Amino acid sequence: MKKILVIDDESIIRISCTKTLPADTYEVKSASSGNEGLALLDKESFDLVLLDIKMPEMDGIEVLKKIKETWQETKVIMITGYSTVGTAVKTLKLGAFNYIEKPFTPDTLLKSLKEAFEPEV
Amino acid sequence: MTNFFRHPSKSLLSKLIIATGILMIIGSLIFWYAILKKQEKDLMSIAVRYSDSFIDFVNDSTRYSMLTFQRPAIQQTLENMVNTEGVDRLRIYDHRGKVFFSSDKEGVNHLVDKNSLSCKGCHTQPELSAELLPSPQRLAVYKSPQGIRSLKVVGAIYNERSCYTASCHIHPKEQKILGFIEADVSLALLDEVKLKQGLALTAYVAIFLLAISASLGVILWKFVSKPIGQLSHGMEKVAAGDYDHSVPVTSNDEMGTLAKTFNAMIKDLIAARNQRGLWTRTLEEEIAKKTEEIQKTHASLIQTEKLASLGRMAAGVAHEINNPLTGIVTFAHLMRQRVPPDSLDAQDLDVIIEQTERCAKIIKNLLTFARATPSEKGKININDILSRTIYMVKNQAKFHNITFNIDITERDFITLGDASQFQQIFLNMFINAADAMNEKGTLTVATRETNINGKPFVEIDFTDNGTGIQEEILGKLFEPFFTTKPVGKGTGLGLSVSHGIVKHFGGQIDVKSTVGKGTSFFVKLPLLEKET
Repeated sequence: MKKILVIDDESIIRISCTKTLPADTYEVKSASSGNEGLALLDKESFDLVLLDIKMPEMDGIEVLKKIKETWQETKVIMITGYSTVGTAVKTLKLGAFNYIEKPFTPDTLLKSLKEAFEPEV
Repeated sequence: MTNFFRHPSKSLLSKLIIATGILMIIGSLIFWYAILKKQEKDLMSIAVRYSDSFIDFVNDSTRYSMLTFQRPAIQQTLENMVNTEGVDRLRIYDHRGKVFFSSDKEGVNHLVDKNSLSCKGCHTQPELSAELLPSPQRLAVYKSPQGIRSLKVVGAIYNERSCYTASCHIHPKEQKILGFIEADVSLALLDEVKLKQGLALTAYVAIFLLAISASLGVILWKFVSKPIGQLSHGMEKVAAGDYDHSVPVTSNDEMGTLAKTFNAMIKDLIAARNQRGLWTRTLEEEIAKKTEEIQKTHASLIQTEKLASLGRMAAGVAHEINNPLTGIVTFAHLMRQRVPPDSLDAQDLDVIIEQTERCAKIIKNLLTFARATPSEKGKININDILSRTIYMVKNQAKFHNITFNIDITERDFITLGDASQFQQIFLNMFINAADAMNEKGTLTVATRETNINGKPFVEIDFTDNGTGIQEEILGKLFEPFFTTKPVGKGTGLGLSVSHGIVKHFGGQIDVKSTVGKGTSFFVKLPLLEKET
C-alpha cells in the first residue's frame, strides 16, 4: 500500500486523483494548499506527492523545494497546465520525479505512478 | 510701344521725348527770338545809316542852290529826290520851325508842329525855350494811318564859313545851326524783308525741331525704349509662368548686358524650378512610400495586437478549462469501467471521452498559439528542417497520394529561431495543403533567397493545386479559430500560430490563391547576415 498526497487548490483534481487511484493499492490523502500539504507531511510520511504547480499563496515550486529539503525519499510528480511545461521541466532539475499535463486521463495518471514505483511494484 | 500711346505717363519713351521736346522748344524759341531781334536791329541800323547818308546827300545836293539862293532849284531838288523809292517826304525848316522847302508843296511856309518829334527830339520845351535835351534824338519810328511804319530822321544844316561869308549875308557868323533837313523814310520794304526772314526762320526752327525730335524719338525708341520694353515684356511673361521666353540681345551696351543677365537669370530660375519640381516629386514619392509602409505596419500591428489579445484571453480560458476537463475525463473513464463494455452507456461514455479529448486538443493548440515567448532561439538551417519535415510527412497515410515537387536551393539558409516551432509551421503548411487538395495532387516546395527592404530573407514556398481560397476570406486566414475545414478536423489555430511564430522571428507569411487552381503560401524568414 503506497501513501499518496494530492496537493491542488482545485477540488476536481483532488477528487479525480482520489477516484482514479484504486483504494486497494493506494492510500490517497489530499490538501487544498501548499501549507496544508506540508502540515500533513509533517504528521505522517507519504511515498509520493502529486503537486500542482500553479496555486495561490505558495506555488508548487516552493512546496517542491521544501519537500525535497525535508523528505528526500518522498517522490513528487508535478501536475501542470500546458503553458507551464517549461516550468515543469525546471522542476525536474529541482528533484521532481516526473510531470503530467492537464487534462490527464486516469490511464496517464496510473501509468506515471506505476513508473514511479516500478522497481517496487 | 503700345504703352507709349495708351498710357504716355507710364511710358519711359514718352517721358524722355516730352522732356527733351520741351527743352528743345524752349531752346529753339530763345534762339528764334534772339535771331529775330538781332535781324531787326541790324536792319534798323542799315536804315538809319542809309537815312543819314541820304540827309548828307540832300545837304550836299542843295548846298550850291542855298549859297546862290536859288529857291526854286532847292524846291525842285527836294521834289526830285522824293521820287526815290522809300522816301516819303523831305523838308527843310529853320530853328523856329518854319518850313522853307518841302517835297509836298502844301507844307511850304507852314510851321512844324512843336509837339512833333521834329522839335521834341532835341528841345525840352520847344514852344517856350530853345533849351536842349541832354541827349538829343534825331530818329523816330512811327506808324502812318495806313499802318505802314516810317522812319523820321532829322539832320542839322551847320553854319559853315561859305555860309556866313556868302554875298547874301543872311546868316551871321555866330549862328551855329542854320536849319534842319528832315526825311521821312518808309520802312515798308524793310518790314517786308523782316517778315519774310522771320517766317523763313520760324519755318527753319520748326523743321529743325521736328527733325531733331523725330530723330531723338527714333534713337531713344531703338536703343532705350525697345530693349526696355522687351525686357519688361519678358519679365511679365516669366512672372506669368512662361519660362521658355528669352529676351533678344541686340547690342553690346548696358541694355545688351541687362538682357544677357536677364536671360541667364531665367536659366537659373528654370534650373531651380526643375530642381524644386524634382525634389517635390521625390518627396511626394517618398511620402507615398512611407505612408504605405506606415499603413502596412499599422495594419500588421493591429493584426498582431488582435492576435496577441485573443491569445491572452484564450490562454486564460484554456488554463481554467483544463481543470474541469480533467474531472470530466476522469469521471467518464470511471463510469466507463463500471458499465458493461458493449452497452449503449459505454458507447455514450466513449463519445464523452472522445469529445473531451477533442477539447483538450483545442486547448493545447490554443495554448501553443498564446505562448508568446519561444523556448529556444538558435541558429537554424531552414533546408535541414524542411527536409526532415518532408521526410516525416511522406511516410504518413495522408500524403500517400500526393506528389512532392521539391525545388530546394542547395545552400545553407541560416536564420535565428526555434527548430521545433519551425517544424510545427512547416508541418502545418503540409497538412493544410493536403486538406486543400483532398489528399490528392501535387505539392511544390521551394526555397530561395529574396529580400525585403534590402535585407536578405529566405522564402519557403508551399504551393498546392487544390481548391484555392476565395479572395474575401484571404484576409481572415490568420485569425485564430478561423477554419474552412469540417467541424472536428481543424481548430483554426494552425495558421495563426504559424503567423505568430514567424512574426516573432521577424518574418512574414504571404499568400496567393486562385480559386480552382491552387494556393501558395510564402513563409519568409530573415537570413542571418554573414559575419564580416
